[in-house]
Amino acid sequence: MKRTLGTRTEINNPNDDVVIRVRDLHKSFKLPTEQSFGLKQAIFNRLRGIKGYEIQKVLRGIDMEIKRGEFIGIVGRNGSGKSTLLKTLAGIYWPEKGKITINGTLIPFIELGVGFNPELTGRENVYMNGALLGFSNDEMDKMYDDIWKFAELEQFQDQKLKNYSSGMQVRLAFSIAIRAKGDILLLDEVLAVGDAAFQQKCNDYFKSLKDNNQTVILVTHSMENVKQFCNRAILIDDGKILEQGDPKKIADKYLEILL
Amino acid sequence: MYMKIPHVLNRRNRILLKELVKTDFKLRYQGSVLGYLWALLRPLMMFAILYVVFCKLLRIGGDIPHYPVYLLTGTVMWSFFTECTLQGIQAIVLRGDLLRKICFPKYIVVVSATLTAVVNMLINLVVIILFALINGVTPSLSWLLVPLSLIEIYLFSLGISFLLGSINVKYRDITSIWEVLVSALFYAVPIIYPISMVADVSATAAKILLLNPIAQAIQDIRYNLITNEAITMWGYINNPLFMIIPMAVVVTVLIIGAVVFRHKSKFFAEEV
Repeated sequence: MKRTLGTRTEINNPNDDVVIRVRDLHKSFKLPTEQSFGLKQAIFNRLRGIKGYEIQKVLRGIDMEIKRGEFIGIVGRNGSGKSTLLKTLAGIYWPEKGKITINGTLIPFIELGVGFNPELTGRENVYMNGALLGFSNDEMDKMYDDIWKFAELEQFQDQKLKNYSSGMQVRLAFSIAIRAKGDILLLDEVLAVGDAAFQQKCNDYFKSLKDNNQTVILVTHSMENVKQFCNRAILIDDGKILEQGDPKKIADKYLEILL
Repeated sequence: MYMKIPHVLNRRNRILLKELVKTDFKLRYQGSVLGYLWALLRPLMMFAILYVVFCKLLRIGGDIPHYPVYLLTGTVMWSFFTECTLQGIQAIVLRGDLLRKICFPKYIVVVSATLTAVVNMLINLVVIILFALINGVTPSLSWLLVPLSLIEIYLFSLGISFLLGSINVKYRDITSIWEVLVSALFYAVPIIYPISMVADVSATAAKILLLNPIAQAIQDIRYNLITNEAITMWGYINNPLFMIIPMAVVVTVLIIGAVVFRHKSKFFAEEV
């Protein structure tokens, strides 16, 4: 397959009110049909004239604009393309066709605790995770104590991460993540974990983002969050924008197509 | 006017690179009693085995002054090359989780993996120098030329890592093929045997062996660091046209590697 390529440009223009522009965005994936990892299978497939993969179209023409200070909720069924859209915006996937323009710095949270390694201590993991968010050693030194205090895990700093419970790991990761500063935040259901107390912390975090007029794009299945925090919601179905606008209306529409 | 100039190593990438190298190094010796000492012990042990087998039992290299140091230099540089390439080739696959979740220049992963090998090599270089001094090698100004050869080996390894590493994402066989290939290649490089042994049989064969960038670099290091009796490509091949071959190979591999990697890296996140 000859892959056509779209573009993703990062600019920094504080005078432009639009922070994300997406034009006719398409993305599809090559899915291996048989186990096509490995040379042997590749040669066999070539000889038999088998392609060895299927094309799955995930995004089929997304157009959108996001303005500074908006809190956008992206909703849709499983497999509708929400996460792919987010990852393409983040620059993790390359757009296949179409154009993305990002105005400002963008911080994606596809998952909490990216780069966490069970064999390293909590302290080492904090610095590693911080580096992935763009924080230098010195910057991490300054917020180090606050991170542990907020996570309420101070006494475990020098334990290896493998000895943490999963809840503790999430708390630590969250405590680092909320310190990330960028013009645009992309959140992909990262916060759909944890107990009630943790959920409360997440809600407080969302609220503080909203109060600070932070631009946020939140992918979520929680219609409660959409109604409570978003100024605008976008419903995606089958790789296209089905409807967008008022969060309440979109939340209803979402439940409608779900059932 | 508002376009951000993409820095090859901007602040964020530098932070990331540093942290990745640090983590790699910590993880490698995690849970071992001797820890970082293994970075020294591995090549020293390999040297001890080769020394006993080749120097004492087969009696090779008796006519080269400071042969034990000469041998150690060869094995250390060879380990540097194999470690660098093997780590570099697998880097993208091993760091797949990062590539799928954050956006950063993919070459950082390869560079960080190879830099870990550089750190190991530098530690060993200190041992070589100590060993050389104990062995009675007199320090000379030509020692200052050694870094040039080290850079050559590094750039060659980096080129190979970029090229094979980007193919390895889809065809994992590359790692295994390369492992076999380097162990075969070990005998094509004058590490355990002096090049003069080959020259005695066939001068042409010796010349061809010396055109390999790794062989050329190792002989240069031995020449500059230990003894003027080490035969180098520069002294042995008299046609200036042939002299550029090793450098040309390094540059070509690096350029092809970088171009292929640049193109393929766009799809690493979805293929890895």
